[in-house]
Amino acid sequence: MPREAEPSLNERNFVSRALEEGLRVDGRKFDQCRPVSLKFGDEFGVAEVQFGKTKVLVKVSAEVTVPYTDRPFEGVFSIASELSPMVAPSFEVNRPTETEVLLSRMLEKTIRRSGALDTESLCLVAGKKCWSIRADVHVLSLDGNLTDAACLAVVAALRHFRKPDSSIEGEILTVYTPAEREPVPLSWLHSPFCITFSYFGEEGDTAVLLDTTWLEEQLRTSSCTFSLNRHGEICQVSKLGGVSIDAPVFVQCAQVALAKSKEYTELVDRKLAEDAKSRDKGGLMAELTAENDR
Amino acid sequence: MLFSYSSLLQGRNPSLKSIPRTQNPTRLTHRAGAMSSGPIYVLPGDEIDASLIPSHPKKPLRLGPGLRHAPPNDIIPTVAGQFVVERQKNAIRVETTSGRYIPRVGELVIGTVHHSGAESYFVTLSDFTSSALLPHLSFESATRKTRPMLANGALVYARVSLAHKHMDPELECVSPSTGKSDGLGPLTDGMLFPISLGMSRRLMLSKSAQDGKVVVLDELASAGLQFETATGRNGRFWVDSENIKTISLVGRAVTETDEKGLNVDQQKKLVRSLIKELS
Repeated sequence: MPREAEPSLNERNFVSRALEEGLRVDGRKFDQCRPVSLKFGDEFGVAEVQFGKTKVLVKVSAEVTVPYTDRPFEGVFSIASELSPMVAPSFEVNRPTETEVLLSRMLEKTIRRSGALDTESLCLVAGKKCWSIRADVHVLSLDGNLTDAACLAVVAALRHFRKPDSSIEGEILTVYTPAEREPVPLSWLHSPFCITFSYFGEEGDTAVLLDTTWLEEQLRTSSCTFSLNRHGEICQVSKLGGVSIDAPVFVQCAQVALAKSKEYTELVDRKLAEDAKSRDKGGLMAELTAENDR
Repeated sequence: MLFSYSSLLQGRNPSLKSIPRTQNPTRLTHRAGAMSSGPIYVLPGDEIDASLIPSHPKKPLRLGPGLRHAPPNDIIPTVAGQFVVERQKNAIRVETTSGRYIPRVGELVIGTVHHSGAESYFVTLSDFTSSALLPHLSFESATRKTRPMLANGALVYARVSLAHKHMDPELECVSPSTGKSDGLGPLTDGMLFPISLGMSRRLMLSKSAQDGKVVVLDELASAGLQFETATGRNGRFWVDSENIKTISLVGRAVTETDEKGLNVDQQKKLVRSLIKELS
């Protein structure tokens, strides 16, 4: 069984001593993130997010399927996340580790259950035909703060995605190719983002860090993930075990999370606008689009 | 085939005559001239120009890491990297920057004690590999009663004493001939930084500033910082100092030089900016 080398005693002592002096190993401030990069692919619905050395690629795809019998008016939306041995040999295919289960649960709660995507808009023929939207999360390299990166990548990819346009005349459903009609974006309701805080020290009061590296993540005593959109609407807060945190600290974290969420929203909006501009050759996109303003 | 990187960079394509006919005509190959200056880079499976292989009247030819002898008389690179010839030793090898650490006899490494067995410590040299063995008694003047007791997770600076392909490697912290430690042994305090294998090789060269083009440590020292370092060939770099800020600064300077592939001038600039940050 391949195993990762655990941090040595020297590293543990150094990280905690440095945090007591207000320093992080890589010289960042406690609430400073690594440079975030967001790139879209040539195809619609491909987004790559990089937080330092953590790299996540998300690909969104759509197909026409039969809706679930208990939800005849809703489309199908699923997020598939898998950590492959490409990240580290300790991840095995078809044998999900705790990290992987927690990641998929977190994305599920943040994006799917918060109703970020309007699934009713995916219905084509009630009870018979609907769109199935699937977001595949590929983790390319892991250096901590995976949840935040994956969530940002999924939201960006879904907002970038365009599904083929379709029409119904009588009983006949027609799905148009991109050559016939310009693909349409998904009906997107709000953009929630995950922001993870890591707590250090016996009481969890030595330091509160944002965007931890893998080494820091191995040494933290507790962590907490807030999922919220830029309006401050909280989708979920999860604190799985670890030492208890004082309520005032927790509230302060929520406020920082709100600021971060606004920052990420602004980043995604800006990158989407840049991408749309680069695709809009000759300024004909406005005429081509079949999208109605909400 | 050999790539002459310098000639590719300068846009001087080798003359058509020198492109040999190979069994694999789809791949564009350049044969480096035997007299070519500049580094020579090889890919796995390349054919090595016979003129590059040294010949010595007495010493046998020694194949270093990254090369394989395919009987009867072919030498094939197994990794991509720089082809290095040492004429005095009659040895050839391929140097790579990346990849997993494979222990070789005589190399200095920094390991983490995983646990202690009946006779030896089990030491982790790199991620996802089996542990190396460090016998309890292979420390300077160690006896059963006076041997150093290392806790789980302690760092040791050791030399690889045995490295067989199908066996766990063995380490030692004492020179078997003199019985002295020569600076090997447990590393207390300080911080460990991961670096690439190529960087650790450059740092361990006897003239690292001249041959390895690493000047960060000299620059930091001349800026008045006091610190102690140890480099393991397994891609570990250990720094200790009185001041925590200094440790962090030295570690960041070295890792940044490694990751961004900084040249000498950029390294000097980096050190200047880091020193400014400190004050």
